[in-house]
Amino acid sequence: MGRTVDRFAALSLLLLVLPLFAPLFISDSYTLHFIWKILFWAALASAWNLAGGYAGQFSLGHAAFFGIGAYTSVLLYLKLGISPWIGMLVGGALAAGFALLIGALTLRLRGAFFALATIAFAEVLRIAVVNMRDLTGGAEGLSIPFAPGLGNMMFSGRAGSVVLVAALLLAIAVVTLIVERSRLGYALAALKEDEEAAEALGVDTIRVKLISIALSAFVSALGGTAYAFYILLIEPSTVLSIGMSVEMALMAIIGGMGTVLGPAIGALLIVPLSEYLRAEFAGSFQGLYLLVYGAILILMVMFMPNGLMSVVRDPRGTLRRLTLRRRTERGRKGDA
Amino acid sequence: MTAILLQLVISGLLLGGIYALVSVGLTLIFGVSRIKNFAHGDLVMVGMYVTYALTVATGLDPYLLAPVVVLLLFGFGLFLSFALIRPIQGAPQVAQIFATVGLGLVLQNLALMMYGADFRSTPSIISGKVLRFAGVALPASLLIAFVVAMVVIAGLTIFLRLSLTGKAMRAIAQDRRAASLMSIDVKRIDMLTFGLGTACAGLAGALLAPVFPAFPTVGVNLVLICFVVVILGGLGSVEGALIGGLLIGLVETLSGFFLGSAMSQIAYFLVFIAVLCLRPAGLFGQRGAETLGS
Amino acid sequence: MLEVENLSKRFGGLTAVRDISLSLAEGEILGLIGPNGAGKTTFFNCVAGAMAPSAGRVRIDGRDVTGQKAHKLCRAGIGRTYQIVKPFAGLTVRDNVMVGALNRAESLAEARRFTEEALEITGLAPIGDDLASSLPLPRRKRLEVARALATRPKVLLLDEVMAGLNPSEVDRAIVLIRAIRDSGISVLIIEHLMRVIMAVSDRIVVMHHGDKLAEGKPAEVMADPRVVKAYLGEGFNA
Repeated sequence: MGRTVDRFAALSLLLLVLPLFAPLFISDSYTLHFIWKILFWAALASAWNLAGGYAGQFSLGHAAFFGIGAYTSVLLYLKLGISPWIGMLVGGALAAGFALLIGALTLRLRGAFFALATIAFAEVLRIAVVNMRDLTGGAEGLSIPFAPGLGNMMFSGRAGSVVLVAALLLAIAVVTLIVERSRLGYALAALKEDEEAAEALGVDTIRVKLISIALSAFVSALGGTAYAFYILLIEPSTVLSIGMSVEMALMAIIGGMGTVLGPAIGALLIVPLSEYLRAEFAGSFQGLYLLVYGAILILMVMFMPNGLMSVVRDPRGTLRRLTLRRRTERGRKGDA
Repeated sequence: MTAILLQLVISGLLLGGIYALVSVGLTLIFGVSRIKNFAHGDLVMVGMYVTYALTVATGLDPYLLAPVVVLLLFGFGLFLSFALIRPIQGAPQVAQIFATVGLGLVLQNLALMMYGADFRSTPSIISGKVLRFAGVALPASLLIAFVVAMVVIAGLTIFLRLSLTGKAMRAIAQDRRAASLMSIDVKRIDMLTFGLGTACAGLAGALLAPVFPAFPTVGVNLVLICFVVVILGGLGSVEGALIGGLLIGLVETLSGFFLGSAMSQIAYFLVFIAVLCLRPAGLFGQRGAETLGS
Repeated sequence: MLEVENLSKRFGGLTAVRDISLSLAEGEILGLIGPNGAGKTTFFNCVAGAMAPSAGRVRIDGRDVTGQKAHKLCRAGIGRTYQIVKPFAGLTVRDNVMVGALNRAESLAEARRFTEEALEITGLAPIGDDLASSLPLPRRKRLEVARALATRPKVLLLDEVMAGLNPSEVDRAIVLIRAIRDSGISVLIIEHLMRVIMAVSDRIVVMHHGDKLAEGKPAEVMADPRVVKAYLGEGFNA
């Protein structure tokens, strides 16, 4: 808020505009795919961030929104020939609607209870999709025949997709910045700090929470469409899985929840790391990169609970925690 | 029809007994230390693999090795409590969730690295044996697991009520600060509880190994069931874990028969959602705990 | 300005507030006192929307707002502070107050104006950019008041705002309370410190075991033998 936001806003936007120009300098297919991955995850993590980081709605079920976006646009395209650009918006709207439903039902739940509820909703959706074979292709999923064309959101060569996903990331970042500096931003910051006090100051916390979850779901669904028309295959075990939800949240948390750049930084660290580990240890140590993920998570929680961005925003505090290894105690919240 | 119904109910209860045993460790840890251990299912997985490894190495029957597994996992639990849980005790909810999720990832992938993704079945002389009683089929391994589960839960309940340590645990569950003021060594009890909870998970793993093949991600689905059971029963309540486990076992078996296996998977999630939204405290839990998130 | 009619609040078998009626006129400071456990904070919470009353009516400026949620009551003009302060620790002082200012402000610019006014009146303007978590208790209490003021209330409910303050801080707080009243806001204040109640209140209401024991001008009420008996030697804290 305030000065910190202003200082970083311009810098953040500049950094996030740069990737749009990447295809001008890079033409190697593998590198472009690698960049696509980083930008894609940065966008997804940023989408999660709107609900989890800013509104404090710690969801582990965002794969549901991502999946709704993917399946909606793919089904509309395959069955009705509707352009994915439109399907994307329809998917977004459906995801937002689903988010409002979840939000309304889970109003009173906090912390792990809320997280568990989101896991349950996403799992119900996944199992439902697996079992509606006629509609959704069941566990095998749906594949899209490659037909390049702007109207189909499919591009020959990777450059187009990279620009698309870079633009998505930039759009989400801009939305995040706008929200941060608006009334909604103040309401969200207050809600995250102390919900009761926020209510007493006139903040309609229910409305604010629902708006952020819906917005977060909408942009997650956009990511789902971008994914579907790039990878050309969607299956419930990837697109609607707990793993997807956890990764979205993970990157945002590692980079720094509640900041504009945090999720992108998280993606920038994790994606290359996982690619490296996967390549280096393919076969012999299959699970190594996930193991490293897990270890990173644990270490982050212990030493840098506010993510990597805390190095930037509060360098002294971060250094203190790293060197003194002090336990994080939130005395306000009761039990120590 | 009644014969089928009876079979379903008995099967459901047997399954439920196992769910109860698996979940009782989770609810105990939550009740005393307020930790929601998302890696609890993976601890059961560890129990299964340890049982498998010991069976293969020694040639002894897994049921004989169960006590060893329990002791090993108890020690592992103490270690985890010291290394990981204690440092995050006071951290915000988000941090606890992620630290235990991280632990789960580490455990799953250690298993993957050591044993690969294949299913590992632990052989036992009891495997495949089925008792028949009043027209109902009772798989011996499930029956043993059920009986042990009931004995252990009864034992735990007596322990909590009558022993000094058990009373200390209940005191901490009710009011941590006050308990520490009564010179109860809260940190030591925390460690003990985590060890006990992990030992329960290990026992469940040992009992499940002859029934079910072990694979690295077997814990992921288990932990979800555990949370459903524990929230249905009420976080922190051992009786709740028992009743909740039995109910979920019944729900799963009955819905599987009447609605098909696909629906049975959704059935308990729907129960879960209903409980979370309507009565998050569950059957025996503290009212209002869900609004504090802790 | 504020009318409470026959307010009652029951928690299961316990009646915390029994049939309390009072009214607060415009520009008045009403003190609410009573021994611990008298039900004062419960009464506050019912008026401020933190909990719904079991019976009775609450009217602000003629409008019936009984049982409405806290944020609607804030919109209607009831502002409150908390006995145990609840600052938004990670936000600056100014941003804390902005949250309140956005209650009535139609634009961010207007909210900034309201914020500066609230900071001025509470003397927090010089530390506007400090993090709320870095503030010592007396300043946090002022922040609490500033935030509530920024919501442009018609009625301000102050819940034991003096607790933890030393005598000179208490004096400054009395000055602030008077300044708030002079700016046109009616004040309902719960307080244990008698010298504060005597100094600022136009009228006093005494609660005891959930009932209204006495009401009237400070001097009369404090002389009332029932009131003295209720306190039974707790006497005056000066």
